[in-house]
Amino acid sequence: MGFAHEGIADHGYTECFLCHLVFEYLSVYRFLPVTLGASLRLIQDRITLPTNRSDDAASFAREAGESLLKKLINDPFDMVEEMVEGYVAANDQIIKRVGKRSIARANSPIPGKVGIVVGGGSGHLPAFAGYVGKGMADGAAFGNVFASPPAKPVIEATLAVNSGAGVMYTYGNYQGDCINFDKAQDKCREMGIKVQTVVLNDDVLSAPKDQAHKRRGIGGLFLVWHVAGAKAEQLASLDEVVAVTAKANTNTRTVGVGLTSCIVPANGKPTFSLPDNEMEIGLGIHGEPGIKRVKVRPIDSVIDEIMDAILADLDYKGSDVALLVNGLGGSPAEELYVVYRRVKQICDANKINIKFKHVGNQVTALEMQGTSVSLLRLDSEMHDLIKNTTVDTCMYKKV
Amino acid sequence: MANVTGALVAKSLVLVAKKVEQNKDYLCELDGEVGDGDHGVSMTIGMRAVSRAAKALPSNCTPSEAFQSAADAYADEVGATIGPLYEAAFAAAAEVVKGKQNLNEISDWANVYRAMADAIQKLGKAQLGDKTLLDAFYPAVDHIQALASKGGNLEAALLSTAERALKAAKDTRNLVPQKGRASRLGDRAKGYQDAGATSLAVVLKGFADGVKKG
Repeated sequence: MGFAHEGIADHGYTECFLCHLVFEYLSVYRFLPVTLGASLRLIQDRITLPTNRSDDAASFAREAGESLLKKLINDPFDMVEEMVEGYVAANDQIIKRVGKRSIARANSPIPGKVGIVVGGGSGHLPAFAGYVGKGMADGAAFGNVFASPPAKPVIEATLAVNSGAGVMYTYGNYQGDCINFDKAQDKCREMGIKVQTVVLNDDVLSAPKDQAHKRRGIGGLFLVWHVAGAKAEQLASLDEVVAVTAKANTNTRTVGVGLTSCIVPANGKPTFSLPDNEMEIGLGIHGEPGIKRVKVRPIDSVIDEIMDAILADLDYKGSDVALLVNGLGGSPAEELYVVYRRVKQICDANKINIKFKHVGNQVTALEMQGTSVSLLRLDSEMHDLIKNTTVDTCMYKKV
Repeated sequence: MANVTGALVAKSLVLVAKKVEQNKDYLCELDGEVGDGDHGVSMTIGMRAVSRAAKALPSNCTPSEAFQSAADAYADEVGATIGPLYEAAFAAAAEVVKGKQNLNEISDWANVYRAMADAIQKLGKAQLGDKTLLDAFYPAVDHIQALASKGGNLEAALLSTAERALKAAKDTRNLVPQKGRASRLGDRAKGYQDAGATSLAVVLKGFADGVKKG
């Protein structure tokens, strides 16, 4: 049995040297925003193609031309690098770069303050780096699109924000993030830095209630980090910051609905396919499948299902809450207010008191259309923390 | 019969990277069925870093140094779930061949593959049958260890080991995932071939071809 016959591309040098070269060129040039002719010239500049091969080369080049992504990028494999460069420059009043893929508040370490380090894959802005600044996080590590950062940038951020009061890591519950942040935590502890971690798991539909430890972290982090950041801003101890962050996580639930897929630039194709006439309830922010697909229908009935799932998982009746109607990146703000309208009606009917609310793109999935609704059930401590803290981060402000 | 020096290990790593990148879209497709569709991208980003590091090695490097450069490349540049796993695997390979100037025996490669698989198991804590890359790797390890005890031609042994891994990767279709993003799907993920197991087979094929090419 041969690899080539099993769906696996397997062009060794010996079998087909020419194919190999073309493959190499395609992999490098296929996404560059150059014209078809230019792509072809790039190939022809390097190797003289035998006549009987030129048609093949032309068809490869055509394919390359057709697969150029209509996105505001150059080479997809350079996107994160170039994004970080622009991000740091655009936010230089608030942050400084402390490594190739790591940032910290410009004035860090702040004496006596617990440093909060966040991070995860790129493709979710404002999450996660957008929340570095006063009142939320102190440092962040950038991963590749939809992929956890390695331990190294997490360690760099940790060293930059450590004032001696300790550092808290907080991020969504994904295996890659857990492995890499844990590794950073081990290394930093070896260096004598106090590090604790709170992993967030607010996505109700990603696992049943009795397996809540398997649930993903999604939009709810925006609410949880409000509480965490406020506590740290008061110069509370590491144990206190960890405790209130864990409490906020325990009281937060999120359910989302996705309307479209999204394109990871280096992949070049939609992550999955969702028919034009369907929506997926419970869809993850990397395109992980949700619990069910429904035909497109007026959004109120979808929001009713979303709110049913949230309210069935945690008793919010009669409680004070902080609420986020989150956009996944590709839905207009107008639509999010239509969603908020329905969420508000349901909260009113259930005597849920919305003390703080935000409507907008916070935890996104590239250009995915859709929304998620997050509720944080407040006690007086969390209520006062949010109320009394000014937030001034790179991508979110609250007076 | 190739003399498998450190330089040849480095050249093989470059070839592994090429093969992984050739299969980027296919691996993304497999991953997209049950995960987030980026496995081919993560592997390509990782192996590009490995390839750059391998090309920068001196021609008199040892096999251990070649594997260690791959581990370091993963540690610095990759992340995701696969990054730490391959980093640990390459670091374990570097450790197990320390002091050796060449890897000419089947048993050398059996040791390398066993160390890599064990390191991945230790870090990822997956068990056989969890539908991970280990479900391709351990059958391949068993295969090459059996060959090592019989003796024979190294090139043929590496090739048949890669083929054993590919067959095992295809057999992951019948498994229900217990790890990673796909695990949340439970039975819905049955019938799909594991992307990580498939890329592992591609990696082993890269080593086989690299050694054969000499």
